[in-house]
Amino acid sequence: MDQQPIVEAENVTVRYGEHVVLKAVSAAFMPSRITAILGTSGCGKTTLLKTLLGLITPVSGVVRLFGHTLADQDSPASVDMLKKAGTLFQNGALLGSLNIAENVALPLAMHTALPRDVIDEMVHIKLSQVGIPNAAYLFPSELSGGMRKRAALARALALEPPLLFCDEPSAGLDPVTSAGLDDLLLTLRESLGITIVVVTHELLSIERIADSILFLHEGSVLYSGVQDQARKAPDGPMHDFFARRELAAPEAVDETSDFIVENVA
Amino acid sequence: MADIHSSLSLEPEPIIRLPEHFNRDWVSSRPAAGFSHDKPVVLDFAGVKDIDSSGISLVHVLKRTFERSNQKIILRNITRPMLSAITAVPQPVAAVSVKLGERFPSSVGTATLAVFSVAASALSVLTEMFYWGTIGAFKKLDMKKGALGEQMFQLGYKALGIVALLSMLIGIVLALQAAIQLRMYGAGIFLAPMIGISMIRELGPILTAIILAGRTGSATTAEIATMMVGEEIDALKTMGINPIQYVVVPKFWAITLTMPILTMLSTATGIFGGFLVSLAYLDISSSLFWSQLSQNIFIKDVLAGLIKSIVFAWLIIWVGVFYGFRVRGGAEAVGRETTASVVTGIFIIIITDALFSFII
Repeated sequence: MDQQPIVEAENVTVRYGEHVVLKAVSAAFMPSRITAILGTSGCGKTTLLKTLLGLITPVSGVVRLFGHTLADQDSPASVDMLKKAGTLFQNGALLGSLNIAENVALPLAMHTALPRDVIDEMVHIKLSQVGIPNAAYLFPSELSGGMRKRAALARALALEPPLLFCDEPSAGLDPVTSAGLDDLLLTLRESLGITIVVVTHELLSIERIADSILFLHEGSVLYSGVQDQARKAPDGPMHDFFARRELAAPEAVDETSDFIVENVA
Repeated sequence: MADIHSSLSLEPEPIIRLPEHFNRDWVSSRPAAGFSHDKPVVLDFAGVKDIDSSGISLVHVLKRTFERSNQKIILRNITRPMLSAITAVPQPVAAVSVKLGERFPSSVGTATLAVFSVAASALSVLTEMFYWGTIGAFKKLDMKKGALGEQMFQLGYKALGIVALLSMLIGIVLALQAAIQLRMYGAGIFLAPMIGISMIRELGPILTAIILAGRTGSATTAEIATMMVGEEIDALKTMGINPIQYVVVPKFWAITLTMPILTMLSTATGIFGGFLVSLAYLDISSSLFWSQLSQNIFIKDVLAGLIKSIVFAWLIIWVGVFYGFRVRGGAEAVGRETTASVVTGIFIIIITDALFSFII
């Protein structure tokens, strides 16, 4: 069956001042798949994610969510699209002035006409789903990094979106918590068929959860496809990334042209 | 221990016999400058067992120093790992040096563009604030239930004490200074209209505005800036919640509604301070004070004070919100923008007050 992508970027170019961060990036994210956006630091992963979410306006190119162009963020059409996409930010981005239950209830209170008691029950369900049912009345500052991420995930899932964006979900977490989050993402994909776009560096996490890979290098797409193929890549940035090998330092000093070396032991 | 100068021998090139530990301690005690650049220098690594980044840096500093006189330094008796450590350092990026004459036009251009950009974003914030607070609210309303009441409590009720106390003290000081002069000429009776008009038209609105610029303006900037830094504003946007409506509009309406009340309180307590002075210092009866006051105060004076208070309220919230949203960076930037917000807020209030003096 020929499926339409849920999220699509077409020739997207983003620049910060003179610095071009994304160079005509095109990518398609298919439904019910977990796609990992990879690349070394500074290659434009988070910028691409923010562009897909409409937080950054590209200088050229188009982003489509559910087949529609994301234009004015406050237009009813854009709000409807954003309601169908949950986002898990790198540090959670929970509102510090609200407790966890209020944070999770926020999208429900703003976008639905559900009665308060139903919202409260839904919040409890979502928090139980992410494994922190007892954190409802704590404030974000009272939670550990892992719990904050789980709470943020509960908020992202509050409206039961068919699409979930995650910015480095495992960053700064211990291996056990990180594996727990990976399991959670897999469960969501398997039980609810959610499409997940994950920006990550974690090789173990990529291996466990990613169906597809989008590899960025210096603002351009180097590879887009299944994980197995990516891991078999010949020499180059992607091979080095999976082999956990440092990229060669550019323009190192040439010992023969810069020094006279005598009697090397 | 090896020494740069004492190790110079009769050999053709000066030799620096490097120590066993070519590290920070050794490098700190020996300046890289002071060599003759006539001949290439030899760095003899024969006795070196370990090298740290200070040692590597010294080698590169010497390399660049000698390069200026077209000389190369000689690395002698060096092990392969040490040579690799030295040569692994990338070439530093040369600083772009532009002559003053060439730099001036581009600096003027950049500064002009920056001014226009700041003005455009400030106007954009003002427009959004008014739009989403009024017409936009009929399109969608992303305000938390009870947010307006909460903000009125925070911005208005909690400022009651400080506004009342400071205004009364200013009223007392002003009345006392005036009373000394007026009594000399037997004109103490004019104290009531003098204090009344100055508090109603001028000091009440401006005192309240300055207190709220320090209190509410700074709090608004700090709150929004912290939300920006913590990606909370981005999170709101991705949830389809308009951050201007969620964060700014409750504050906008809260300050618009509470500022005139606070101004009236400030004016009343300031006049009351003047009344106390007139009783204690000028022996004017209370009935005479109030009758003098009511005879000389007109409704246009009260309206002028109230109009000023509303305009000042909008200026305070506009400046606070603008500086909050323009923050870039971390905690330090939050502090910097908060300070700038308070200073700009007070400055704009005083300028606007001066303009008002010509209008109403």
